[in-house]
Amino acid sequence: MLMQLTISGISQGAIYALIALSLTVVYRSTTIVNFGHGDFVMAGAFLSYVLVVLLGVAFVPAAMLAVVAMFLLGLAFSRGLVRPIRGGPHIGFALMCISAGYVFRGIARIVWGREVLPMPRVFDINPIFIGDLIITGDAIFILSTTAIMLAVFFGVLALTDIGKMVQAVYQSARGAQLIGINVDRFNDFTWGIGAALGAIGGILIAPISLLHPDLGASFLIKGFAAMTLGGFGSLYGAVLGALILGLSEQYAGAYIDSALIDITAYLVIVLVLFLRPHGLFGRKAIVKV
Amino acid sequence: MPETLMTIRDLHVAYGKKPILRGASYDIHKGECLTLLGANGSGKSTSLNAICGFVRPGAGSVRLGDTELAGLAPHQIFAHGVAQVSQARDLFPDLSVEDNLRLGAMRRGSKTSTTTLAGIYDRFPRLAERRKQPTRTLSGGEQQMVAIGRALMSQPRLLLLDEPSGGLSPEFCEEIAQLMDGLKAEGVTMLMVEQNLKLAFRAADRFIVLRDGAVVDGGDVKAMEHDHDAIIKNIYL
Repeated sequence: MLMQLTISGISQGAIYALIALSLTVVYRSTTIVNFGHGDFVMAGAFLSYVLVVLLGVAFVPAAMLAVVAMFLLGLAFSRGLVRPIRGGPHIGFALMCISAGYVFRGIARIVWGREVLPMPRVFDINPIFIGDLIITGDAIFILSTTAIMLAVFFGVLALTDIGKMVQAVYQSARGAQLIGINVDRFNDFTWGIGAALGAIGGILIAPISLLHPDLGASFLIKGFAAMTLGGFGSLYGAVLGALILGLSEQYAGAYIDSALIDITAYLVIVLVLFLRPHGLFGRKAIVKV
Repeated sequence: MPETLMTIRDLHVAYGKKPILRGASYDIHKGECLTLLGANGSGKSTSLNAICGFVRPGAGSVRLGDTELAGLAPHQIFAHGVAQVSQARDLFPDLSVEDNLRLGAMRRGSKTSTTTLAGIYDRFPRLAERRKQPTRTLSGGEQQMVAIGRALMSQPRLLLLDEPSGGLSPEFCEEIAQLMDGLKAEGVTMLMVEQNLKLAFRAADRFIVLRDGAVVDGGDVKAMEHDHDAIIKNIYL
């Protein structure tokens, strides 16, 4: 049972990892927490639904189109709504994100009401049996997709010149400007990447759960919990925090009370902020003179 | 007649409603080291930030050769060959020394950066020893070497130095002075803001005194060699 729960937890945590990572990508470069990100995730899921169910596009090209569309939406959101208020108070960014999220949610409600929509199964992957352990086709699909995405993301970050430039902006925006990087354009691009990663999370969720306009809210909290646990702003921490959160939900639900699954994320946020506010990978800045 | 690299005319900069630069005008000659002197709040660092595009001038002109830089963004000004070593250094603390240096040349392309990097290591052998270390693990003096090296990697037409001796030991200040001697010998044009007047007079060819955002004095450092006290009085009194 423990191994079965572990597989389920990692599978769930993989989706949280994409969402937490996409939140962190934006936060690291802009210091903005996208409180509307759950609705970007929802929009990605619904976009793939429209393409697959209503327009009859095959799942893989539909998913790619949805990711590209969400990338462009994130970029346009940054260029059109975030950049113009850059000099204003920080609360303005939060309100802008929340408002944009509610607009997305409102559009989804206008079109589909509050009904829940089933996304058709996209891949008929046979489960793998290892003794008593069953790894479902959905888990295989989610884990392999997420593993590829994370490998590409961290590989580019660590091994390429573009990755070094990204790290440079993350570590000092002013320093990046001093070496000729257009930080405003970089930030637009970052919003696009964040929206695209969130959309991938939404697209992975779609076939295994029911779609509804409010689905983003719970995933936003999971993303926040993973970020808090991993250390706010840490890319690796966001992924590890998400996996630990996914596992915690499964273990707590199975061994203590199934109702705990719904509040594990909140408990994690409270406990981490109380016991280790900078999370597992967060660290205090040291300035040498 | 020395060739002028940069011409600054009637430069006005304000932070909100508070004016900092009020019509500052001066020239920077090719191959010289010009130092801006002045009391705190006189507009020295603001001058550098206005030249680099970090603050937008309300009025006035910053011309590099035939190119007007006033109003351009920092990355555009960098592309014209103006690099700054800022007071806070603004390094990338988790990246290695070598990554920090290479990033300085990234906009220039990687083909020539290897040669330039070798030149930086010749100039700062200590950085060659620490090339794989994250810059946050370096001493303040070594971090300053990285900051200067990173700016030099772009082979700038104009190098701006904001308090290069800030927070460093007297021994390292002398290293900075020797480094600047070497850069001058190679024809690098420099504009420096420096509170350490000993270093400023040791390294600079000319000086300009700013007071309340305007130029009130200036001249050749060597010609004023015996009048440094008078310059200091002009700055602070």
